[in-house]
Amino acid sequence: MQMLSDDDLNIRSMSDEELDAAWDLWFDLAQETNAFDPAYSHGVLVGWTPPARDANHDDRGEAARTPDRRA
Amino acid sequence: MANVYFELTREFNRDEPVAVLASGQAVVFYRIAIMSKDGDWVIRESPEACDRVRAVLAARGARHRPSPPLDVRWLAGGWSSHFEFTDERARRIRCDFFSRPPRVALARVEEMFGVSAPWDRLLVVDPETLARMKQTQRAKDYPAIGEIARLLPDGRELIYTTDPDRILALAFSVTAAVDRPSVRAAREAAGRARVVVELAREIDQMQRRDHVRVERYLAASASYLDEFRRARIDQMALSDAHQMACALAEQWLPAVPAGLEHDDADAQ
Repeated sequence: MQMLSDDDLNIRSMSDEELDAAWDLWFDLAQETNAFDPAYSHGVLVGWTPPARDANHDDRGEAARTPDRRA
Repeated sequence: MANVYFELTREFNRDEPVAVLASGQAVVFYRIAIMSKDGDWVIRESPEACDRVRAVLAARGARHRPSPPLDVRWLAGGWSSHFEFTDERARRIRCDFFSRPPRVALARVEEMFGVSAPWDRLLVVDPETLARMKQTQRAKDYPAIGEIARLLPDGRELIYTTDPDRILALAFSVTAAVDRPSVRAAREAAGRARVVVELAREIDQMQRRDHVRVERYLAASASYLDEFRRARIDQMALSDAHQMACALAEQWLPAVPAGLEHDDADAQ
């Protein structure tokens, strides 16, 4: 049973330079999804998402100012 | 342009072996799949190794992500330490470190760093260790384990493979005892469906075991992580961040989470 796609498996026939170039291109494209990535993919913090730190919340995730309700 | 995580590995190890590339980038190295945006390393459990890695990261402008300090006092308890920087092409580079990879015997970890010079060649975890490390709670790791196992001799592949067809193919050609229900089902000629079901149960058991382990770390780190964020350590220069993180960890982070004091990778 083939468990990975042909595209995945094709990297076995690449030279070192081709592998670097393929990874580099993939990594450039993958930056587009950074905002959707889990906070931690490895290690012992997998599954932990830091509370949002934005204009309306302080570092504790609590309201730092009254949210703008006009929108 | 070289893989930035490969470059970092060589830089970490410029003077002596201190960091071995693991997880997703090791999967890239073995040409199994391009599937990870982050870099993970098994770091040598010594103050000098931690100093070296922090220096390389500081030179690249890295910030300490909310996580335990890169310090042997917590690394030895299985904690992981996480960093991030933006490279010259505005790409997000995430770097994760641990010295006690789960499910890997300490003796095997020590062997990783017993390599001879030159150390600037790429140090990458061996396929069998990689397969053990990949036995996580994430479903996407198990197809990769099946491919990693193909890099091993038949007898070792049968211990790790997640491919039912490989289990069926190897169950009789490999004569050594293998303590897996899926292999027993294949050897009993119980049929492919039974092998598939037993394999699914094995994978589910491994995922649940890893989930329980990680949950203990998360529970033990909650207060520390709150304090870390409150102190805005992730916005500090790395040297300051490290000192502050150590000070907080001494107060808030147990060296080993409760319930994991006797976590024995050798026995798993």
